[in-house]
This record gives sequence, C-alpha cells and structure tokens, in this order.
Amino acid sequence: MAELVAEQKPLRSDAAFRVLVVDDDPDMTAFLASLLRKQGIEVETAGDGNAALARVAESPPDLVLLDVMMPGPSGFEICKKLKSGHATALMPIVLVTALEDKESRVKGIEAGADDFLSKPVNPPELLARVQTLRRLHETRRELDSRRQLAQLQRKEAIRKAFSRYISPRLADRIIQDVGVEGGPFNAGAQRSNVVVVFVELRGFADLIERNDAADVVAMLNERFAALTEAAYHYDGTVLNMTGDSMLVGFNVPFLQSDAASRALSTAQEMVGRLRSLASRGERNFGALPSLAVGICMGEAVIGNVGSPHYLNYTAIGEPVDTAAQLARLAGANEVLACGRVHEAVRGLLPAGTLAPRAGAALQGRPGAIQVFTVRV
Amino acid sequence: MSKDSYTVTVPKDLADLIPTFMSNRKKELETLRSALKALDLEQLRQLGHRMKGVGNSYGFEKVSLLGKQIEDGARSGDRLALEACIADYDDYLARVSVVYG
Repeated sequence: MAELVAEQKPLRSDAAFRVLVVDDDPDMTAFLASLLRKQGIEVETAGDGNAALARVAESPPDLVLLDVMMPGPSGFEICKKLKSGHATALMPIVLVTALEDKESRVKGIEAGADDFLSKPVNPPELLARVQTLRRLHETRRELDSRRQLAQLQRKEAIRKAFSRYISPRLADRIIQDVGVEGGPFNAGAQRSNVVVVFVELRGFADLIERNDAADVVAMLNERFAALTEAAYHYDGTVLNMTGDSMLVGFNVPFLQSDAASRALSTAQEMVGRLRSLASRGERNFGALPSLAVGICMGEAVIGNVGSPHYLNYTAIGEPVDTAAQLARLAGANEVLACGRVHEAVRGLLPAGTLAPRAGAALQGRPGAIQVFTVRV
Repeated sequence: MSKDSYTVTVPKDLADLIPTFMSNRKKELETLRSALKALDLEQLRQLGHRMKGVGNSYGFEKVSLLGKQIEDGARSGDRLALEACIADYDDYLARVSVVYG
C-alpha cells in the first residue's frame, strides 16, 4: 500500500487538556487533530495500536480517540488493555467506528469504551463528545486532587499530633502504618520488652512557692522541651509527662535492637542539655532545679490506656516502677541504671560508662537489686 | 455526470488540509489499481473502508460512497464492480473542484 503523507502541525504546549488521536489514516488523523486544536486542545497522534500504547506509556493523555480497524492491535484490543491497566483505567476512550457497524459498538462496550464516534465524523458531534468527556475528566481530576489534599492534610494533622509524643521520624512511620492491620497503634495492649527512662525534675515545688507561677512554668517548659529534644534525638517515645516527671520508652512502638544504648545516650544528653541551660546565665529565681534519672529494662504492658475520651499510649509494669524508684534514689544530675541495662550494653560502650554502685532495696521488691551509675 | 456535481464545498477551517488530502487520494487511486491487478481483495476492502470513513468527514460525499461500493465489491469478489468503481473514482478525481465556505 502506498504511503500516504501525514499533515504536519506543531503541537500546542500551553493547553491543559491533551488528546491522543489514533488512526492509521493520516488524513483522518489530520482532520480530527485540526478540529481539536482549534478548540485549544493539545493533540498527539499515533498511526497504529503499538505506537498508541507507547505514547500512553510515555505520557498518558487526558482522552484517547481510537480508530477500530488498524494494522497491529485493533482499537478493541488497545481499549481493553488500557481499561485493565491500573494507571489508565480511568482514561476516557472514544472509539471511532463506522456508523452502521452495530457489532463494533457492542464489542467496544465490552472492551470498556466510554463513548463512540461515527465515521464519517460530524465535527459538532465530535466536539460535543470531547467537551463532555473533558468536563467529566476535569471534575474527576478536581475531586481526585481534593481527595489527595484532604488525605495529606489529615496525615499532616496526625503527624503533628503524634509529634508531641514521639520523634517526627517515628510519627512518619506510624502514619505509614495507618490502616495496616496489626500496626503498633492499631493493635491492642501487649507485653513487650522495653527500656524506660524515668526523669524527675527537682526543685520546682520550692521555686513555685517563692516566685511567680508563670515564670516557674516557663522555666519548667523550657526544661521539658530540652528533655524531649534529647529523647527524640535517639528516637525515644515520650510515654508520659506529669507535673515534674517524664517517662520515655525505647523499643516501643517499633523494635530498636540497640534500645538500651539509646536510653543511656538519651539520659546523658538530657543531663548535658540541662547543664547548658543552667550555665546560660538565665534569670535565677533563687535556686536552680536539678535532674534525676532512672533507667530500667524488662517486660511491660504496652497499650492505649485511659477512657474513650482520653487515651495515653504508655507502658505499665515492673521496669517502669523500678526506673521511677531509681530516679528517686539518684542524686542531683545523676543517672542510675538497673543491672539488666548494664548486661544489655556490656562490651558495647566505652569502659566506665556504667559504674557499679551499692545495691538498693526497692519498695515492693524482695532483696536488693544491682544498680549502676551512668557517667554523665 | 455534469461537472457541477463534482464541486465540493469544504469548511474554510479545513482549507490547509485539502492539498495533502487530494494528493493522498491520487496515491490511493494508484494503490487501488495495483490491488485490483493483483486481485488483493483484502487490501481493496481495507482501502474502501478507509475511503468510506475519511471522504465524507472532509465533505467529499462521493469518496465515501465509492469507498462503500469498493468495500462491498471486495467482500463479494465482484471484479467488474470494482473495476467500474475505480474508473469512476479516477474520473471523479480528475474533475472534482473544491470551494471553501
């Protein structure tokens, strides 16, 4: 068959709506393209089914005008293929068929075509059909972008809310798990090995008695902010913050194989940060508050505790109780750790990081437990 | 047939496409002749089908009409009818004139 010459025209690049015209007859392609371009529509053309598929893969159009009888894959095959593809299923396809060819229309419907256009093509009909599908497509795109925006805003709100309790990195991971069955925040309470850091800020009760409450609260908040930053630095989860104490967990809600090391580093950084706050020459309210830290590891119950109106993702159990008692036992700016923490980091940290201290008898616990002082 | 019956009015919008369109029709006529000589009925059917679709889209009703006759003739294997259609097409292309409106 002699090659017919295709009419060439430059493509518009400023139009938002793009139509792919697929026809093996260059005169028909030129005719359809000319009509559409005059409406400000960007047009690309393909001379057969394989070229059409390549064009779609390269840059998916907003609509496809598809001839049925072509060399290579027919219009039906192309239509079926596009409609079964995840990325192209919603792409509107208009099959261009002979007016009297009822059989083709039935096959077109079966292949998933959105509309039909008869040959010979009637220009007003072509433009009306394209405009209808364009409006539909634009409405669908608008709804899709609104849905995506709403989803993004919702995720951002969740991330912000979570970021008050955990490090932003952990918050991102939790958001990825939203809707995933068995995800840490969807699962019920469970027993888990955790490392907890119990922090006690001392001296605020006295300060409150002698100073303006607002000044003291501002000072307290500044310290809690510094402590939280230290916790987040090592991907800790703030499980509780009450009055002048704070509980940070590791290996929760996600596994951290080096949880004990992270807990020790966090405590050291907490002491360091509070010391630098004190040395910054801030207004002295009569006394400088100090810090006491207890670290312990073991099995605890992890879950959302509270009422339907107020939930707290926290840890309950022996390691939490021991860490709290160690914090009470600790001197000013001292960090104490239980023997299990010492076991977990043995050989991993520089010698002298933990030094044995006299065993301590804790409330509700038979006998004395091993206690170590953490170098700060 | 009178010469006037071969005057086709084409929308001004399509004026720039007509020279290529007419040139392609002449090539098409040659291809039809070759296909008939080889008695390639499938090619004749495809060419007729294509003429049927494109002719009237541009306003060339006669091209679509001849296309349908060629498609039908190829389907039924009616060589004489095909010869007559192709001769008619030759005559048409020699005499058709275009006005833009």
